[in-house]
Amino acid sequence: MERFESKHFGMIEFQPETVIQFPAGLPGFEQESRFVALEQPGVKPIVFLHSLSRPDLCFITLPALVVEPDFRLRVPTEDLRTLELAEDRQPQIGAEVACLAVVSVAEGQAPTANLLAPILVNLRTRRALQVIAPESGYSHQHPLPVAL
Amino acid sequence: MLVIRRRAGESILIGEGIEIQVAEISGGRVKLGIVAPAEVTILRKEVKLTREQNLAAARGISLGQLAELAAQVGRGRGA
Repeated sequence: MERFESKHFGMIEFQPETVIQFPAGLPGFEQESRFVALEQPGVKPIVFLHSLSRPDLCFITLPALVVEPDFRLRVPTEDLRTLELAEDRQPQIGAEVACLAVVSVAEGQAPTANLLAPILVNLRTRRALQVIAPESGYSHQHPLPVAL
Repeated sequence: MLVIRRRAGESILIGEGIEIQVAEISGGRVKLGIVAPAEVTILRKEVKLTREQNLAAARGISLGQLAELAAQVGRGRGA
């Protein structure tokens, strides 16, 4: 078990094999390559992606299928290769990859999720990449589902 | 917005140091060749949008907003 002091959650403990590796970081955060995914009681299905090098860096994400139940992946071949996935087809969300959308809140506006560039995690190798997929047709500011 | 029609192999020039050549057109896609000074950043627009979105996301969200968010998407999926 490893430990990391988070500014948001205090001391967090995690198994080294659960660490998510972003070989190229994320756009804007190219130096950040190691993250853990955290869930907190009471705020499911939110997944917190916490950096393991910056105590203050934590992304709020939602499973892409929660944001958009009909969400379809359009991962470019070179990204499938980076993720060590089969290159002849799209991966299966939930079985082969986790697919998370980064949530952001602009001042005075409703939160949105970036479905243009979902984060894919290879569930077998824990390798991850923020896949920028303009051909998917989704927005970088996709509205969240409205409460019923 | 300035709109210019170009064929494969033709170029446009921007200012003194930038040339954009249409290298190839096929299947609804255009391959562009770009010559520009080293200090000019060239980015696919969606990369810039995602970078800005990530930077905004990392600025954080208040606990109140978080609870609201969880309630909203939680209810939305019938949980």
